[in-house]
Amino acid sequence: MSAEHELEEEETGTRPGEGGQVLFWLTAVGFVGALAAIFVFVPTEVTEGIVQRIMYFHVPCAWVAFFAFFIVFFCSVLFLWRREREWDIYAHASAEIGMLFCSLVLITGPIWAKPIWGVWWTWDPRLTLTLVLWLIYAAYLMLRLQTAEGSARAKYCAVVGIVGALDIPLIHFSVLWWGSQHPAPKIITSEGLGSGIDTSMGITLLVALGAFTLVYFLLMSLRVNIEKMKDEIDRLKKQRLYSN
Amino acid sequence: MNSFFGQVRAIVWKDFLTEFKTRELFSSMFVFAVLVILIFIFSVDLSLVNSEEVGPGVLWVAVIFAGTLGLNRSFTLEKENSGLQGLLLAPIDRAAIYFGKMLSNLIFFLVMEAFILPVFMVFFNIDLLSNLGPLLLVLLIGTLGFSALGTLLSSLSSNLKTREIMLPLLLYPLMVPIAIGAVRLTEQVLTGGALGDMMNWVGLILCFDVIYLAVSIMTIDHILED
Repeated sequence: MSAEHELEEEETGTRPGEGGQVLFWLTAVGFVGALAAIFVFVPTEVTEGIVQRIMYFHVPCAWVAFFAFFIVFFCSVLFLWRREREWDIYAHASAEIGMLFCSLVLITGPIWAKPIWGVWWTWDPRLTLTLVLWLIYAAYLMLRLQTAEGSARAKYCAVVGIVGALDIPLIHFSVLWWGSQHPAPKIITSEGLGSGIDTSMGITLLVALGAFTLVYFLLMSLRVNIEKMKDEIDRLKKQRLYSN
Repeated sequence: MNSFFGQVRAIVWKDFLTEFKTRELFSSMFVFAVLVILIFIFSVDLSLVNSEEVGPGVLWVAVIFAGTLGLNRSFTLEKENSGLQGLLLAPIDRAAIYFGKMLSNLIFFLVMEAFILPVFMVFFNIDLLSNLGPLLLVLLIGTLGFSALGTLLSSLSSNLKTREIMLPLLLYPLMVPIAIGAVRLTEQVLTGGALGDMMNWVGLILCFDVIYLAVSIMTIDHILED
């Protein structure tokens, strides 16, 4: 009887509250605004044509992926320090979302590169770094999948989260010096876009960056909620098991 | 501090004794490395490419692949008969366990490399002797980073059911700086260039070594905790 009562109580507790609703609508409006800016507001680029519009997805995805992996590092450090399950959940959720956006970067990149550079892929430092990052966090998530749930898994993942993030600057320099041996086409960076072109493109990119960042936070809150509900279900199951 | 080194030495000595008795690890690593070199030679036509440019990559791939066998064994061996539990119960620092295992791995790898180098020299027809000093230095700093990170991840993956699968998946992407840097430096050395021209790579690999030794000391307490 008491378990059922608790269940009801917790259900209201884990349901997305006012804050979640606000975040959802903010993200929805932001994303619709970004889509309108990308497909209606911004003029088509003269030399690259329509395909250049994918940059407004590509660049924000890359930003969110890097941001998410930084959060994994941050939460991993905090977990090893404080030993609170909360930080493990955040690191897990952020790694999954980072992986999603990193995959999107690796998919949208070649779609743009084929008509512009004439090849799907070059060993440009930035491309190589993104690919290696994808592999590191794929291994991170596989480690999570293959380890039994518990504090040991959280510790192992935290260690890999820290080790992986510390490797990023080293990988960056190694692929930079390695890549510079080959003639590689220049990637259009956000700085390049902002300085070299029309202000409407700069605005569109900023709107898209904002919208994607909101999507990150929305996905984070949903994923964290799911994980907390799982914990709660486990707890209730155990309670049931021991009370009978 | 003296006792710390004593503890490290005891662990290294224990690993050596085990290896002298069985000789299973060293022989399998060496034969595997030779096989890797052989497969690369079959897949690349050496009459078409410059062996000084292809060779370093093959050498490091052989070292890393064969080293992975050793790393897989390193902590699995301790798991058998609850050897690791004994180590953890002993009144020694966790960092000493890490350093002991790291040093014994490093020494095994270096001995394996010493045996591979003549094979490599003969198969690729490269003169290693004229540049032996810088070559050994490059091998040392590269292998140090490999065993520093490898030992940490090996201690971690030994607790998993799928340890043989997870260790390379975790280790290889993180090894990218070493894989690129060490190959570049080896190529520079073998083509007769001065190591001083590529000090940025030497610095990068030394950074890698220092970072992963430091991170391992800081995090090993969390992994070796039962």
